[in-house]
Amino acid sequence: MKSDFDDLIELSDFYLLSQKFEQAIKSLKKAEKMQKNNPRLYYNLGIAYEALNEKDKARDSFRLALKLKPDFRSAQEHLDRLIEE
Amino acid sequence: MKQFVVIGLGRFGSSIARALSEKKFEVLAIDEDEDRVKEMEGVVSQAVVMDATDEKALKELGVADFDTAIVSMGETIEDSIMITLTLKEMGIKQVIVKAKSDLHSRILKKVGADRITFPEREMAEKLAESLASPKIFDFIELSKTHGIIEMVVPKKIVDNTLRDLQLRAKYKVSVIAIKRKVPYSKSDGSTDFKEEIIIAPGPDDELISGDVLVLLGKNTDLEKIKRL
Repeated sequence: MKSDFDDLIELSDFYLLSQKFEQAIKSLKKAEKMQKNNPRLYYNLGIAYEALNEKDKARDSFRLALKLKPDFRSAQEHLDRLIEE
Repeated sequence: MKQFVVIGLGRFGSSIARALSEKKFEVLAIDEDEDRVKEMEGVVSQAVVMDATDEKALKELGVADFDTAIVSMGETIEDSIMITLTLKEMGIKQVIVKAKSDLHSRILKKVGADRITFPEREMAEKLAESLASPKIFDFIELSKTHGIIEMVVPKKIVDNTLRDLQLRAKYKVSVIAIKRKVPYSKSDGSTDFKEEIIIAPGPDDELISGDVLVLLGKNTDLEKIKRL
């Protein structure tokens, strides 16, 4: 059975795909209050911040995702790109 | 096809040699340092270990036949002046030289350099500009009075069409492009985005949060829109 946490992550995906980046961040912040050890949460947060050009926050989020899952390739690619800019 | 000779393979010289080769131009790369030349082997058309202040050796190498020379000697100002003079005397049409100081630049102009570049200073100015206003990503100076900036769309004007905003009438700036991050779903179910560029956007194009506007206008007008 899906938890509220999973629902919030799914909702954030929906908001990201609809280019509602601020709403995606709101859902993810709610989800973060329930669980802080989910790499996907921080990856989505990184995507939302990067889309809004909030690069410092995006970098921090991708770093957190990588801390939780060091072989997270997409997160690493985004982080590398942000650092090089 | 244009041919380039790059003299001095430090950070700037090697980067420009690499970039020109990627654009499929013929590039001859010269440096005294064997390791630096080795790094360029296979990247450029020809990489040679040579003292570029040696006029005879330059001639033997056929440098006179190249269209453009880029001189990027980091170590001594004298060497870059000497080489510029020699290259111009050999008849190279365009000689571009990296300068270290204003005095260096003035001397280079006197000995015939066609273009002087201050890569560190130019980079530093761009970085300072982006640090001073984090929402400005790039600035290109078109003339003393006009330029192009890339700026994040201010929150105040998000969700409006260009027609509604009347940027040209109100701020006298033209939106020449919009850079937008378009999200998509990856095969593993996660979300990512790719950047799309809308060139010459029409009046019905709507701005969304996260868009980056590429604006053209007078520097004074661009300053006003930066403060939005």
